[in-house]
Amino acid sequence: MTEIDAARGPAGPERNAGGVSVWARLARSPAYRGLATLTMSTPRRQFWALAVLPILWVVFTHFAPLVQMLRVSLLDAYPPTIGKDPEFSVEHYRVFFEDQLFFAPYMRTLIFSTTLTFCTLLIVYPVAYFLARHVRRDRQILFLLLLLIPFWAGEIIRSFAMMLVLGNNGAINIVLRWVGLIDRPIPFMYTPFAVSVAIIYLTSLYMLLPLYSALEKIPQNYLEAGADLGAGAWTRFWRITLPLSLDGIAAGCTLVFLISTGVYAIPVLFGGPNTTTFAETIAGFFHVAGDRWPTGAAFSIIMLLTALAVTGVFNRGIRALQKDKHR
Amino acid sequence: MTRSTRLIAAFFFWAFALYLFLPLMVMIAMSFKDSNFIGFPIRSWTAGWYAEAWRDGDFIGATGYSMVIAVVSTAISMVMGTWLAVLLTERKFWGRGIVFLFTMLPAVVPGIISAISFRIYIRILDMEPGMAAIIFGHAVHNVPFVALVVASRLRTMPKSHVEAAQDLGADPFVAFMRVTLPFLQPALIGGGIFCMLLSFDDFIRSFFLGGYDPTLPVLLFSKLRSGMSPEISAIATVVLLVTAMLGLWAERRMRRLERG
Amino acid sequence: MSKLIQNRRTFIRSATAAGAILAAPGYLRRASAQSGGEVNVWTYDGFVPEEFARAFTDRTGIKINNRLVDDQGKQFNLLAAERQSPTADVVTVAGHRFLQFIDSDLIAPMDTSRLENWGTINPTYSESDWATVKGEKWGAPILGGSQVLAYNTEMTDAPETVSWDMLFSEEYANQTAYIVQDIMSIVMLYMGYDGNMVEYLDDPDRAAEIVKEARDFLISKKPLVRKYYDAGAEIQQMFINQDIVVGHAWNGPIAKLIADGFPVRMTIPKEGSYAFVYTYNVAADAPNADNAYAFIDAILAEPEVGAMMSRESGFISTFQGASEFLSEAERASKSFTDEEVSRLQFFRAEANEMKYGLVDRAVEEIRAA
Repeated sequence: MTEIDAARGPAGPERNAGGVSVWARLARSPAYRGLATLTMSTPRRQFWALAVLPILWVVFTHFAPLVQMLRVSLLDAYPPTIGKDPEFSVEHYRVFFEDQLFFAPYMRTLIFSTTLTFCTLLIVYPVAYFLARHVRRDRQILFLLLLLIPFWAGEIIRSFAMMLVLGNNGAINIVLRWVGLIDRPIPFMYTPFAVSVAIIYLTSLYMLLPLYSALEKIPQNYLEAGADLGAGAWTRFWRITLPLSLDGIAAGCTLVFLISTGVYAIPVLFGGPNTTTFAETIAGFFHVAGDRWPTGAAFSIIMLLTALAVTGVFNRGIRALQKDKHR
Repeated sequence: MTRSTRLIAAFFFWAFALYLFLPLMVMIAMSFKDSNFIGFPIRSWTAGWYAEAWRDGDFIGATGYSMVIAVVSTAISMVMGTWLAVLLTERKFWGRGIVFLFTMLPAVVPGIISAISFRIYIRILDMEPGMAAIIFGHAVHNVPFVALVVASRLRTMPKSHVEAAQDLGADPFVAFMRVTLPFLQPALIGGGIFCMLLSFDDFIRSFFLGGYDPTLPVLLFSKLRSGMSPEISAIATVVLLVTAMLGLWAERRMRRLERG
Repeated sequence: MSKLIQNRRTFIRSATAAGAILAAPGYLRRASAQSGGEVNVWTYDGFVPEEFARAFTDRTGIKINNRLVDDQGKQFNLLAAERQSPTADVVTVAGHRFLQFIDSDLIAPMDTSRLENWGTINPTYSESDWATVKGEKWGAPILGGSQVLAYNTEMTDAPETVSWDMLFSEEYANQTAYIVQDIMSIVMLYMGYDGNMVEYLDDPDRAAEIVKEARDFLISKKPLVRKYYDAGAEIQQMFINQDIVVGHAWNGPIAKLIADGFPVRMTIPKEGSYAFVYTYNVAADAPNADNAYAFIDAILAEPEVGAMMSRESGFISTFQGASEFLSEAERASKSFTDEEVSRLQFFRAEANEMKYGLVDRAVEEIRAA
């Protein structure tokens, strides 16, 4: 069944009996018609009917809480101590730029997130590809659900279970010792490797969905046409599949990058003495020193702006690439 | 498709599945360990932790509480996320870039920051911490994911479909419900499952926005303080079985519906 | 402006109506509970024994709403965020964190004359120097803990009297772990200084020098450490997974490992160590302050409750006579020899602002080094 059939499906003739009458009845009801004239009689009205609620939503629920954070980042102290009104200050932003100390975790986070995003893409792409192209269409959701099952166990439990896999006395070391490949355990835990294994576990989920939905909608006949024209498997992948899945790659990488800049629990649990990330630095201002909220808030805003800038540039690059391919 | 690419892809898929499931199998094995801590070696086995978890009524309450929060917040995120995706992909208007940026914000703010800023915010709104506040926090956090997935599918929808429907006399709303929405179905299912997962797994927002009833992760976190006991593994295993069965049931039903 | 806020409120109210409707049963339940009286307690898992809670509610009709917390910082943040309309009646603050909570006006002075059973508490705790701040008592000590050196008895050979040296020796390279924030005080003590830094209150330069020395020591030992950790569950798991054999920890998590039969021992090394106490406090502007006092007084009424709390949490009870209700094995995992106890010092808060100003930064530097 192609996309177009799928889209037509529910409205198709075989299912008309129930469907049409509901919509027809709705369209005939005076209340609906009144509302329809009010909201849809001109393009301008249509636009406002469509735009007002979501715009209010993003302004008052997505943006407003962050304004609070911005406000806190610009106060000299928060929570305020009694008998003293907090004053405006950009001190907390200056701290970041003047103090060398925070630069290392900041850069480490950026480099680490970029690498991890790339690794996640490399690992998940074949998985999504297999799912979208080699699994029977009516089985795909089942396979997808299968892969999602482990995530319902919850992050903390998953993490501790992962430690039991990677530990000196963990599953992998036990098996390796039993096979006779090693006689001393390999210390996997508390290294960048352990952090990567645990983070990719989490981020692969965010990569899988957009990649799958992008690959799944590439029409089979494009590839058949390619094959008819004598293109080999590799060429077809390079010239057809990859360019057509760029949207999914862009969405997946954006999500994964942003999420890996913000993960906190995993580097804390799996990291060693030399893997402190910026999220840990930020959390430290809220956790350990209760009166340094403003610094934490200021650092969050810096991280946020950096991450947005990086993903912005990345998406621009992808778009340029897409235009290139179209030419 | 050649046989070899198929084999390679299949290998990757199953290796990836092993990677995901290995910790899970370890966790399930640990839930039967006769000791107060999880870890190798397992010297003796018991099913006692399941009985313990059952007797410990907190956990059933917390699971139900988390489920309700997940379902309601997902419903809200799906409506708002789809709405935003339609607005952002189908209309060109002044300020679209800003609306897009605002839409994506909740996905990119680190958890602890968003939790604290929400905590301050609901106080300004005069909202009590508790279920409604958690739902609100989760719904907002999940909107960008729905919007992203839906928008990426929407962009591939042939314009002609909607136009055809409108030519046949359907107004934009009816055309949306009858043509666009069915086309979006896979994205909506994926996005919905994803949102439920995020909500169900969230600790930090639930902690800051919650009242006196703990969600499941909040309960587990506080239990963790006295050690990672097999009881926690047992609870997770039960949750896993229940959600896996719900998922399979839903999938089966969906397939049956599709067949008509 | 006020009009805008008004509009915004109405908007959000309708936007979240769906959630509010679903939440209604919860609110109803709470409202009905309020008529019979309730007390909102923020505390750690195991600090309010279930048996006690049931008996308390049966006797007084006061319902206990127990909100589980897992960390002082989060509790502080939550209280601070709720400052305008507090919901907490009783909170659980560590003695050495008093000042932070008092300065932000988050807890109320404790009127000990309203607690008939105040005398249950061992005076070592209730009359200790940290317990009185600004001439007032601020909390009722319930459970205590100390920092210990723990080691795997099968994979190390430790002498009878152990020194903190063990944690920093080449012999156990990459098999050690500590909480870097907390080890700073220990390192200062280990080097012969006052880890509370009260002695240097009038000499900030000296204080800075000492923190710098401790910092440099830890940086020089960084190649030998496996992990800077945070949570008790982490160190338990590190011991079990054999990722470490020596560690610095709070006694509670290690006590639980010992009780489970894991071959680990804990001790107060010869250079000494620091101890702290958890207290129940009445929150500032507590909505049910009377019930808060009733609750705390009831907790203090029986040493047996202290023993239950100790058993469930792994910490040491501050109640006189509580240990009589513990089994031999439980006592072994939760107590130290007199000699060890004599090496313990309490954390003090007087110099905290100076100390943590220096230590927080040093910790950042150690992590970044």
